Amino acid sequence: MKKQSFKIFSFIAISAILFSFSPEMGKYEQPILITSAGQSADVKLVKLLAKKQELNAETKLMADLSDLEGIKTLIIVPGFSSKGLGAAGISQQDEMTRVETLVKAANEKNIPIVMMHIGGNARRGGQSDGFCRLIAENCKAMIVVAQGNEDDFFTRISEEKGIPMESVEKISFAAEPMGKLFK
Amino acid sequence: MKKHHISAIVISLITILAGIIASFEFHKLHVSESLYPSERLSSEGMLSDYFSGIKDTNGDTKVYFFDSGKPGATVFLAGGTHPNEPAGYLASVIILENLIPEKGRVIVIPRLNNSAFTCTDPMEAFPQSFHIDTDKGPRKFRFGSRATNPLDQWPDPLVYSHKPSGQQYSGLESRNLNRAYPGSPKGTFTEKVAYAIMQMIEKEEVDISYDLHEAAPEIPIINAIVYHEKSEDIAMYSILELEMEGLQFTPELSPKNFHGLSHREWGDYTKTYPFLMETSSPVQGRLRGKTNEELILNGVSENYKIAKETGALRIAYRDEGEQLEHRVGRHLSGFMAIINSYNEIHIDNTVKISGLPAYQELVENGIGKYLNN
Repeated sequence: MKKQSFKIFSFIAISAILFSFSPEMGKYEQPILITSAGQSADVKLVKLLAKKQELNAETKLMADLSDLEGIKTLIIVPGFSSKGLGAAGISQQDEMTRVETLVKAANEKNIPIVMMHIGGNARRGGQSDGFCRLIAENCKAMIVVAQGNEDDFFTRISEEKGIPMESVEKISFAAEPMGKLFK
Repeated sequence: MKKHHISAIVISLITILAGIIASFEFHKLHVSESLYPSERLSSEGMLSDYFSGIKDTNGDTKVYFFDSGKPGATVFLAGGTHPNEPAGYLASVIILENLIPEKGRVIVIPRLNNSAFTCTDPMEAFPQSFHIDTDKGPRKFRFGSRATNPLDQWPDPLVYSHKPSGQQYSGLESRNLNRAYPGSPKGTFTEKVAYAIMQMIEKEEVDISYDLHEAAPEIPIINAIVYHEKSEDIAMYSILELEMEGLQFTPELSPKNFHGLSHREWGDYTKTYPFLMETSSPVQGRLRGKTNEELILNGVSENYKIAKETGALRIAYRDEGEQLEHRVGRHLSGFMAIINSYNEIHIDNTVKISGLPAYQELVENGIGKYLNN
């Protein structure tokens, strides 16, 4: 076997092995509650994607424990927005407390959390990463727009925690894997 | 004549000469550059047509109308709210000089805060102008201030209390047009200008309105479309459309309790759907280093590259720089995407325009190709 052919064969074989070990995204139930972690308006884009996929989903930027009643899946969209926090009239710490409480309650009620990070690098670094890490480490599946994972931040968490992750190139491409989670 | 008398005369003459030169330079700041609207311009007016309280002041500014003659929606585009944010101004100039209205009408005010074009911000070392190369030679544009010229409104209060909300800002913001809406006919100079703009939006029954801006790379609201809650669907569809073109914009909801800004008050006080767009402009940032025309045009800043690499803050800076073509192109694409999204939602009252360069065309051909002179 020529050297180049061997390299290509090795690459395909390794990729196949890695792929076979990558965890399944899984199936989740509706109704869905969509909320933010960091109050970015990205949550509104996810709402639009859910509508396109005809999912039974309600969106609440400031969802609290009472909103989990009857919910089968919680989708959280992490990303910090100072304008969003201003609109909500809360501080970053208030928001972190709300999200931590919600995540804890969802875990106690066995409501699976799906993370959708669609804001790219604009919702990474700085004040966003605290929210990103909290949700990524506590979710059952992640859908990530690739630009927000250029530093493999989500890939590392996915591998360390064994959480399945689907990476897409554009926000609108996130609709399909999102729909598949529920169909 | 004694020796010290001669010295005194020489020094006096030099001082007078310097004063004369300085006065010419100062006068130049108050001379507006010529703009060359497209052939499809329908009519021109003045902002004072909507509120006579600003007539014959530096707050008055030209209003350009492009009417297709076919019924449809009315679009209002504002450049120059902050004349130290050149991409917003240049985008409005390119639209003014290339627009072909095909349905509905478009109103353009390129120098929204005309007074702020007549000065620069103290202690910032900003150049007074920058030049764009065109086929017919370089064309000069003013680089102004974020705020109304203090010659038109002075002194600043220690604390600026926005009317009517009572929200408090630093005193400097009393001269910031984008903290003055809805304005007041009996208010300060800046509040009167804001009031005139509100009157125009209402009287012309504007459906979609834009306020074009730029901000420092370290500011959290960057490469963004800021929208009023009633404009949410239009904003979201626009962002998805722009992403398909390869342009990432973040959606930012206008806080209800952040008063005086166009994206809040235009939407609260009139029926228009307001949008404010921001690009990343290193010349405005604290880390920018040497401040010159080159930085305005090419947007290359080694300091921002280093700052981005540290990861300490989110820095919206491309390694190749934030060129003016790129920044203006983003505004033009955002302008079109919002119109397209509006049309999809409001099929009974659409607006159609053509003649504007796409983002890629602007980046490849340069701004000068789209300037008439």
